[in-house]
Amino acid sequence: MIVCVFVLCAQGLAYGQETSFTVGPQDESVSQQIVSSAKATPDLTSEDQSKTASNNPTDELSEDYHEDEILEEYAAKIKEEKVEIADPLEPLNRVFHEFNDKLYFWALKPVAQGYKAVVPEPARVSVKNFFSNLAFPARFLSCLLQADFSGAATEAGRFTINTLWGIGGLMDPSSGKELNLQKQDTDLGQTLGVWGVGQGFYIVWPVFGPYSFRDTVILAGDYFIYPVSYINPWYASWGVRAYEEVNATSLRIGDYEALKDAAIDPYVAFRDAYAQYRFKKIKARKTKLTLSAPAAQQGKPADAELLNKEN
Amino acid sequence: MKKKILTIYFPVMLLMVVSALAIPPRADASGLFGPLQTVSREQGGLNTAVGYLYHEDTYENGESYRVKQNEIYSQAAYGAKNIWEIYGRVGVSNMKLSGIFASSDHFVETSKDDFEADWEFFGALGAKVFYPINAVFGVGAFMQGTYYFTDFSDHASITSGGVPIKTEMKFENLWDADFGIGLQAQLPCGAKLYAGPYIYYSEADMSLSSDWTGTEYTKKDHTVSNQSMAGGFLGADIPLIRGFRLNVEGQFADRFSAGLAVSYTY
Repeated sequence: MIVCVFVLCAQGLAYGQETSFTVGPQDESVSQQIVSSAKATPDLTSEDQSKTASNNPTDELSEDYHEDEILEEYAAKIKEEKVEIADPLEPLNRVFHEFNDKLYFWALKPVAQGYKAVVPEPARVSVKNFFSNLAFPARFLSCLLQADFSGAATEAGRFTINTLWGIGGLMDPSSGKELNLQKQDTDLGQTLGVWGVGQGFYIVWPVFGPYSFRDTVILAGDYFIYPVSYINPWYASWGVRAYEEVNATSLRIGDYEALKDAAIDPYVAFRDAYAQYRFKKIKARKTKLTLSAPAAQQGKPADAELLNKEN
Repeated sequence: MKKKILTIYFPVMLLMVVSALAIPPRADASGLFGPLQTVSREQGGLNTAVGYLYHEDTYENGESYRVKQNEIYSQAAYGAKNIWEIYGRVGVSNMKLSGIFASSDHFVETSKDDFEADWEFFGALGAKVFYPINAVFGVGAFMQGTYYFTDFSDHASITSGGVPIKTEMKFENLWDADFGIGLQAQLPCGAKLYAGPYIYYSEADMSLSSDWTGTEYTKKDHTVSNQSMAGGFLGADIPLIRGFRLNVEGQFADRFSAGLAVSYTY
């Protein structure tokens, strides 16, 4: 029972991690964005900022993480905006935030550090690639639901190539220079956002971490579309998910600490960073869809005008 | 110069192909052997492949019978310096043994004649070395071993003297080992042609789960192996786009096998 609770907690916290620090089980680039977002806040001193930068372990992995380059390209064109999210449940959210924080420092991080000590980095990156490949259905479906057919085709191509020639997804030849099929950074929450659904209020789920009310759909979507959920018995499924999160955490130890150390009120920092990050992602998706529409490809109206309209 | 090289080596290559095909063999191997020279980058690197082979062979234990297999596999290889490579393979294969349940006894009726088994897993390990003679030609050698992790099995209903019997036949612990040498020619477009002879041994345990005295295959737990031990292979490895290559290969023993694989070089 204790093991089950631990596994559940580890998994959930990892999801919280994914949401608050990386948002989405397969997205490592987000953590860097959130840390960057924290850097941009006036609360940070230059010392904090340099500490934040130096503590970012994913820098050394940057060559292995060329994901989402396409979206980054669009995100870079979006004007910075102050984004706020309603927080009517703040007292309760703070309790769960604290709970998740302890769960990270007392359970997930020590396990991830031990795992990191014994498993070499290339092996951990391969494991991450494998689970990322397994999560293809959610990204594919999200692209289809957003009418992003080129994105869906890219995802289908990536899945086929990485499964067949990437040793079941352990390798990621699709992201290489020759093939250049980058992972589509999208999820069901973004799909709702693209459709115009507002983010709703901020909610910190115990174990699962921070979400907006709208993005909570990711939890359900991930469960039903993710093949690991269908492993029998159920505790094997949770065990695999726990391992996935331990592996993912081992590749980004330090990100959470950096953001937490840099913030006067970590809860507020996480909430603002989360809202800002999700806003940018959805804007970037909208921009991509607008720019890739046939009319835009013909140059009517100009990209710049579209971007201005969008922003 | 090119003409001279071709003049010298073409007859040698032709001779190897002809000798490979002319050897009186009765054997075959599982999986493509692939080009003798690694397709990995010179400084060292991975290449992966997915492949398919239609394979026919003849096994014997007192009496010979024909085996047909469809093999689909995934391969990961590491090679360097254009001279060596090691590789591992996992795949699935089905199996059909023609006429294995058929009986010559008129008082025995069987529900079917052929043994047909579903897809089972196999794994293979191999290594190859290559020595370039010049810019165009080179010689190489390879060795490969395959083991089937799971057993092939099929059921048949037999009626003998009016008494129905259900029986299960198993083809267990199938393995093979191959060793070959060959000559390879590099064409200007980057394609590689290769051919050569190989030797081969394969073995499996056959068993019947019920007693039945109608045919030669009623003995319980006997070992079968390939009839003969040599064959020849001939193939081409053609560059496609964006790091992919197509490998087409034929293997001839007492039966002809052929397959293709698409590889990707990292």
